[in-house]
Amino acid sequence: MRTAAVLFAVLVLGAARGVAGHHSFAAQYDADTQVTLAGTITKVEWTNPHTYFYLDVVDDAGKVVSWAVEGGAPNVLYREGWKPTSLKAGDRVTILGARAKNGSNQVNALSVRLPDGRCVFAGTSGPDGSATSDCTVGRR
Amino acid sequence: MRAVFWAGAILLFALPAVAQWQGHPTPGIPRTADGKPNLSAPAPRTADGRPDLSGIWLASRAVFNLSQALKRGETISFTPEGKKVFDERRATESKDDPSARCLPTGLPMRALLRTPFKILQVPAVTVILYESRTTFRQILTDGRPLPREVDWPAWQGFSVGRWDGETFVVDSAGFNGRTWLDQAGYPATTALRLTERYRRRDFGHVDMEMTIDDPKMYTKPWTIAAELVFQADTELLEFICEENERDSSQLVGR
Repeated sequence: MRTAAVLFAVLVLGAARGVAGHHSFAAQYDADTQVTLAGTITKVEWTNPHTYFYLDVVDDAGKVVSWAVEGGAPNVLYREGWKPTSLKAGDRVTILGARAKNGSNQVNALSVRLPDGRCVFAGTSGPDGSATSDCTVGRR
Repeated sequence: MRAVFWAGAILLFALPAVAQWQGHPTPGIPRTADGKPNLSAPAPRTADGRPDLSGIWLASRAVFNLSQALKRGETISFTPEGKKVFDERRATESKDDPSARCLPTGLPMRALLRTPFKILQVPAVTVILYESRTTFRQILTDGRPLPREVDWPAWQGFSVGRWDGETFVVDSAGFNGRTWLDQAGYPATTALRLTERYRRRDFGHVDMEMTIDDPKMYTKPWTIAAELVFQADTELLEFICEENERDSSQLVGR
């Protein structure tokens, strides 16, 4: 399925540089290198200081690549309406994230699109950040 | 815009009526005819006639860089040493922020986060319970002065409070100088004197100001201003930073 393809999109977001809840966003992630990942969730960590979930993505060569996705702080997500069970292993999602500067397969989620097409705020405090309801990144 | 997203989030995840902790109606607060909290009702008062600051509060705008919250007309003027420290922190994208390692966040920024805090105003002490990091702070109002000398400087310093008319004024000193004032990296030292002013202008709003006076880092005091909004029908959540802290090892800077 082509929905499993990995698309690397490099976007220039101008001068905007946000910061994350408990640490500097820019020290860890490159806001200008954004990655769209479509795959299957393998694990969810609803933990402080930030949530993590893990995604298996099939790349263009048909190989499964595992990605770590950092989300917002659980208390911030909870206040936005998330529950610890909102994302579960096996769910298919599409993530737009900013890539980790250390080169690992990790992003900070800017938006999460659910299988039915709905888009949810990922709780990041990235560049101005967060998703709008149509999964574009914008100021809230 | 925020309201739109809240509405969306609530619709998206709304559960059938379950026994609620979050969402449980805050008792005893003024409400309009449709049951919503009446944020423009008069500010409540304590038995001694003072405005009562008690309640759960959230800054109307989250700020991670104090220069974005400066009071009108204010500027930040560094000493040479202050400029050196700040420039170094900017050059490394704040990767060495102690807060990123779950150490305490500076008091100015802690009041400006996306997470609320609860003020409990009782005789002889006003307590602030911060959702951030599940931390607390005591502002003693028993009439004692600030300690003249501090033999054990503290991350959060020492705080005393008094009333200046309708405004609650908090003076703090005795800081250990290890917290950053915000995530941008505005510095402070053991010389920091922090003055906070809280005025509850109506039921739903507090005007807050904080003056940073640290002659080692700044050539003159400077003041930030923010509006706090009453948070009804909610409760503080837990935040245990050390649970799964994995970011600090990934902070590479530029």
